[in-house]
Amino acid sequence: MKENSKRSRYWSRFTTVIAIVAMAVVLLPIFLNDTSWPIEARDYLAHSGTEESGAINLVSAIYLGYRVFDTFGETIVLLVAVLGTMGMLSRVESLVDTSLEEEHTIGSVSGFSLTNEKRRSHALRTHLLEVVTGKIGPIVLLFGFYVMLYGHVSPGGGFQGGVIIASGIVFLALGNPQEGSSGISNPELLVRLESAAFLTLILVFFSGLLIGNGFFGNPLAHTQIPVGYIVILNAVIGMKVGTSLGFMCIAMMGGGS
Amino acid sequence: MIILLLALIIMLAIYTLTSKDLLHGVIAMSAVSLICALLFTILQAPDVAITEAAVGAGVSTVIFVWALRHSKRRDDEGE
Repeated sequence: MKENSKRSRYWSRFTTVIAIVAMAVVLLPIFLNDTSWPIEARDYLAHSGTEESGAINLVSAIYLGYRVFDTFGETIVLLVAVLGTMGMLSRVESLVDTSLEEEHTIGSVSGFSLTNEKRRSHALRTHLLEVVTGKIGPIVLLFGFYVMLYGHVSPGGGFQGGVIIASGIVFLALGNPQEGSSGISNPELLVRLESAAFLTLILVFFSGLLIGNGFFGNPLAHTQIPVGYIVILNAVIGMKVGTSLGFMCIAMMGGGS
Repeated sequence: MIILLLALIIMLAIYTLTSKDLLHGVIAMSAVSLICALLFTILQAPDVAITEAAVGAGVSTVIFVWALRHSKRRDDEGE
């Protein structure tokens, strides 16, 4: 028995060493090569990126203008991830409920949960949590909208602002334990908002076709306000990310069903 | 400064792997994300820093703690 455990410990150390060596083999050529960085795209963006897209923050000009196809892919990845999580969650909940019957779970690791979650004990759910999250939730939500809507001027954008909005929604859900006291953490409303945001996103992507700029084309490219396209995309992506992540977190804490 | 932060990241990562209590590991991992966000700020990439702070230190920690809460404590070596 002892020999066995000793051997398994040596084996685990051996596999660790092999993993580090494999990582070195993959990564060292990247660190050691002395090929110069491509400067053409960088110079072009630094020279005419701001005038062409109208965005002061060149990062958002790139991922919502020059490389918007990648952003579309990211949005779809997020959609699929949330769908998969919800599908797994509906099965996990039933497994969890049966295992809770066997054993007392008082003193389990965390205090956050919504009131209608099936748990033995809400011992760690204190009033401190409710008071703090209820008060701080609207402020976090406002900051999320700021990060989302000013993505073309300051750091941030749709994805970052969306995640902060999701935190704000979860805070509001935790801070208002009575059902329906805060409308924005209602799961049905969140699902509707998410679907509407995704539909709007696809419509905005198609809107370039009407002007003749093609799919993903900026319909405002030759007007006075080319930055409008980026603002609209930031807002729509932020709504989508915020509502889908908020819905996922609320469902995980037992608010869904 | 950067070397100090990178060393701290490696130390926290090793602690994450070796800690007995999984909750301590999750908190250490969220601290790794936070230091990464600080590093991105120092390297003048504020967009990436915001993403790292919001996703790495925020949402993923919540999801890990949720998964932990639905697991049981068990010690194999005590038997």
